[in-house]
Amino acid sequence: MDHPTESGAQVRVTFTTQEEDIQLDESKRQLLVPADIRRYGLSRILNSESMLDTNSIPFDFLVNGSFLRGSLEEYLNANGLSLETNITLQYVRSLIPPTYEASFEHDDWVSAVDVLSATSPAGRWSGDNFQRGQDRILSASYDGLLRIWDASGNVIGTSPSGSHGGHTASIKAAKFLSSTQIASAGMDRTVRVWKYTESGESYERRGELKPILELYGHTSSIDSLEVDGASKRILTASADGSIGFWTTSKASAPEVSDSSLLPGAHTSKRRKLATSVTAAQRGPLALMNIHNAPATAAVFDPRDRTVAYSVSQDHTVKTIDLTTSSVVSTFTTSHALLSLAALPRSSASAPLLACGTSARHITLVDPRTSTAATSVMTLRGHANKVVSLAANPENEYSLVSGSHDGTCRIWDLRSVRPATKDEGGMGSVSEPVYVIDRESQQGKKKKSSVTGDGCKVFSVVWDQLGIFSGGEDKKVQINKGRGVNAE
Amino acid sequence: MGPKATEKKRKVQDAEPESDDEIAPDFDGALSQSEDEFDSDFDDNEHEQDGEQESGSEASDDEDEEGSLLSDDIPSDAEGDKAMGKLVLEDEEEELEIEIPGVDPKRPEKDDGDKNYRVEKDANGNERYVYDEIDPVYDSDDSDAQEAPNTIGNIPMSFYDSYPHIGYDINGKKIMRPATGDALDALLDSIEVPKGWTGLTDIHTGNPLNLNDDELELVRRVQMGMIPNELENPYPETVEYFTGIEEKMPLSAAPEPKRRFLPSKNEAKKIMKLVRAIREGRILPYKPPEEREKEEEEEEQYFDIWQDEVPQEVNPLHIPAPKLPPPGFDMSYNPPAEYLPTKEEREEWEKLDPEEREKEYLPQKYDSLRKVPGYGEIVKERFERCMDLYLAPRVRKNRLNIDPNSLLPKLPSPSELKPFPTVAQTVFRGHDGRVRSVAIDPTGVAVASGGDDGTVRVWELLTGRQVWSVKLSSEEAVNTVRWRPAKDSFILSAAVGEDVYLMVPTHASVTPALDQASRDILSAGFGYATNGQQHGAAPGKEPPAKWARPGAKLEDEGVLIRITVRSTVKVINWHRKGDHFATVSPSGQRSSVAIHTLSKHLTQIPFRKLSGLAQTASFHPLRPLFFVATQRTIRCYDLQKLELVKVVQPGAKWISSFDIHPGGDNLIVGSYDKRLLWHDLDLSIRPYKTMRFHSEAVRQVKYHRGGLPLFADASDDGTLQIFHGKVPNDQLENPTIVPVKVLKGHKVVNKLGVLDMDWHPREPWCVSAGADGTIRLWM
Repeated sequence: MDHPTESGAQVRVTFTTQEEDIQLDESKRQLLVPADIRRYGLSRILNSESMLDTNSIPFDFLVNGSFLRGSLEEYLNANGLSLETNITLQYVRSLIPPTYEASFEHDDWVSAVDVLSATSPAGRWSGDNFQRGQDRILSASYDGLLRIWDASGNVIGTSPSGSHGGHTASIKAAKFLSSTQIASAGMDRTVRVWKYTESGESYERRGELKPILELYGHTSSIDSLEVDGASKRILTASADGSIGFWTTSKASAPEVSDSSLLPGAHTSKRRKLATSVTAAQRGPLALMNIHNAPATAAVFDPRDRTVAYSVSQDHTVKTIDLTTSSVVSTFTTSHALLSLAALPRSSASAPLLACGTSARHITLVDPRTSTAATSVMTLRGHANKVVSLAANPENEYSLVSGSHDGTCRIWDLRSVRPATKDEGGMGSVSEPVYVIDRESQQGKKKKSSVTGDGCKVFSVVWDQLGIFSGGEDKKVQINKGRGVNAE
Repeated sequence: MGPKATEKKRKVQDAEPESDDEIAPDFDGALSQSEDEFDSDFDDNEHEQDGEQESGSEASDDEDEEGSLLSDDIPSDAEGDKAMGKLVLEDEEEELEIEIPGVDPKRPEKDDGDKNYRVEKDANGNERYVYDEIDPVYDSDDSDAQEAPNTIGNIPMSFYDSYPHIGYDINGKKIMRPATGDALDALLDSIEVPKGWTGLTDIHTGNPLNLNDDELELVRRVQMGMIPNELENPYPETVEYFTGIEEKMPLSAAPEPKRRFLPSKNEAKKIMKLVRAIREGRILPYKPPEEREKEEEEEEQYFDIWQDEVPQEVNPLHIPAPKLPPPGFDMSYNPPAEYLPTKEEREEWEKLDPEEREKEYLPQKYDSLRKVPGYGEIVKERFERCMDLYLAPRVRKNRLNIDPNSLLPKLPSPSELKPFPTVAQTVFRGHDGRVRSVAIDPTGVAVASGGDDGTVRVWELLTGRQVWSVKLSSEEAVNTVRWRPAKDSFILSAAVGEDVYLMVPTHASVTPALDQASRDILSAGFGYATNGQQHGAAPGKEPPAKWARPGAKLEDEGVLIRITVRSTVKVINWHRKGDHFATVSPSGQRSSVAIHTLSKHLTQIPFRKLSGLAQTASFHPLRPLFFVATQRTIRCYDLQKLELVKVVQPGAKWISSFDIHPGGDNLIVGSYDKRLLWHDLDLSIRPYKTMRFHSEAVRQVKYHRGGLPLFADASDDGTLQIFHGKVPNDQLENPTIVPVKVLKGHKVVNKLGVLDMDWHPREPWCVSAGADGTIRLWM
């Protein structure tokens, strides 16, 4: 390969951006740059005094919908363009690679992770009650225990076992309601609300989890749980195809209507569970049996807490009006859906719904009934079921997904290309920006032909504190998650 | 010596036939052999004499020469002796030759004929023949010998055409022409062909000429140009009279004679002769160079094979000289406008490689002939023409220009037939040893499996987490696990040895209500238990099965009922309503197929007699029909009328499994002889399609029950094959069967691959149980 431009050929570029705070003057937008310049060089130019005059914001550059990975010249060659083409470069604050930070060891598979920090929803809901620097990490495990960790990886508190008022089977989902309340749900069909208190000095703090509510109503394993700390509501999705809507206040929660669901309802059951600690048993505010296959996830609308979205293995996404407990609209996709995340949009009233499918990709659905195309975009790259999704807390266009292939992938929705014929030829497709592998699998020989065998990711959370993911390798892995805002 | 002798023999035969014919025309065949033998012996002798005489004279010549050339050398004694010996032999044989004429048998015969009688005068003075007394020796009477029936001799038989007889016998009686049957008789004769019938007539007797097998064989061999006598071996084993093998212990212990070490004087003499000749220039060892060149040139001669070709009819053996086609319009200097190429055609032509062009020229238009330029390609074309003639093929090739792809049936591409499972997404690890059976529960959340370790396990489908397990036996393997199909319960059945267990997995996500409902369903039959047994068997007879509680330890785990039948159960299949299930124990002889009624705890054996070993059995998904597969056939019984409805014959040697399409009219069969067969039950009892894509036995076949047009098979080669099998609503159309995916992943352990598979009740997902101890979820 010969490089004719080593002599110093130049390319005319036009810088654009959609971010208001880093707009360039109209006069400075067009520039002649050397053809062999790369992302770093372009980023330096933009940060220089004559341009933006900022102190080193790392930028990424989007050319025609995809990130610039090589030099400009390579891009031109690859696309068969001449050096005289005027290139429009959209510059965006770059995502910093999510470097590995730490792993927390567990005794059994980690099914769910949540985080309590100043920026996390639970931290915001608890308001002043949350003390800065007391970041806590919650993990739920298949051994039926909840664990609270501090940021340095020490277990502060553990939930009681099944015989002492805890979950009698594996926990599948858990969330902080506030700095003092935790909700969890699992295979034992119950949602449990815990009171969390801490005591002791800062270096040896002990936490205590006390069950305060047991919520009965689902007739099968609960796979997903979503909370709203402000209104103290819980949303659950169960394998019986129903979506549960619950409250955490003991007073306002209705009594259990179907007493047969309670443990010990049938005396013939051989193994009776002797519970020494008894929590109040309550029923759901609403139990909506709207799916005819296992419901896999339900989330609140980020803006309007009376609206919820749910997905199920019956291929549908449903919009639910929680005040009337009725289904507003249904979108049918072509695959079983296993996970859901709502990406807030400032430009539109409704969020964009990212649904992880069993067919190894993520479908983005616009839940507004007015839109012509329901499926907006497809994110391809995973090699196994996508079972967990989390939006970036800092912006509207990136999200992280956890999959049974043992990776978490970070996606940027600004980088898109039209779908090829193989991919169905419809809509647009995006590919991951970063792939987070399981640290526990580093250096291990791949022994199985099935991707993610032994290191499936079950849950992922994105907070400014980091990207937390729990999986089959019995670890919570923490990767750096603070991306764009360097200040 | 051999070939020469036979040559001579032939010459003798050629020379002799006249005399042969004269003597015995009828014994031609019979005698010829002995005569030949005699002749050959005779010739051999003659020839040997000749040969020996020649060699003898040569030897003496040599000796003479030797003597003349090297007069000072005395021939050695041994050589002299040999020559002498030869000469002696010669003499003896000459003596022999003298005796040989006396042996000739022809001459004495004639003489004897003359002396056979005396001519005397009788009383009247007439001549009287007085014959000798017959000496009654062994062969004096030849009345037994077959004699020529017809005495007319070797004359054309057409002489007798106008007479009613065809000759005379030895007594002068007329031999009448045998009555020839009319046309009908001839026809009848030809229909009932007697043995050896040839349809020919013996011209001498007029009887039909029959040949026996030996004679026919002889004729055949002569016809084929083989040696007529089978027994005569043309290539006898060589007998090594003189062997090249040097004996360790030679017979003679005499020391090697000196002459063996000395160079041969005889050879030296010959060489000297040649040397002398070369020196004197009588012999030229090499040809002069000019002559050699000339010869080489002469060697390269080519022949025009079509030199004197005459036009002849087309026949496949004749290859005419390659011929140029006559010029067409497009070769004209002024072709019609439609022959002129358009601009695009011209460009396309120019773009092509000269070798790939269809035509070597482009039609061009000139106003007049004088404006046509010289043809540029003339030299090249002439050269190629010459090459064509020179390298003309000797064989005409008939090439079949068929695109192989066009022969394949038109099938939709697999990508259009999505969804179907493509990759393994979850591996379920935990079983110790082979996993023999796997089943997904009716809600599609849990997977049950059973294996060689005697455990039954229940797993979470998507994550591969084991949620329940029970050890049913420490010795015997769990042969099969099946869920009760109804959704109102959570009941699992498993077969271990002769026991069938019914259990309610105490799974945390099962509500107490569902758990209780399932237990109630299982226990409901205990009230009927005594009645059921009386119905099932006559008093005094052993009941076909015992329904009992399995014991407190297993009951704690959720195993509630144990049904003990008479022999090892290999297959369980539930009726869709969940009240009946069929078990099959292939080794069970008469009680191999049993139908169990859960609500009454009743076991019935529907077949008192079964032709063949039952392999598997299944209920029809819609109608009250029951299918039982033996090794080769599948029988369909009506359960209401209690009669045989249909016998399906897949043509497989050993059926391993079958499944009925949820629509009820189609059937797939898997067999241990590597085949998968699709039957259309309305169409035929024979398979509609046979698929032989596996390299090992097919263990399990299953249709998707959730409305997707899919079916799959599991094989011992470690793979599953997924097929798209759409059954059209229209009865007239044939089902579309397209293989869409081979799922590879299971390891083959001890020649066992995938032992069982099951479909998800809704999604295009399937699970498979492998001999490698894993279960895999494919989606």
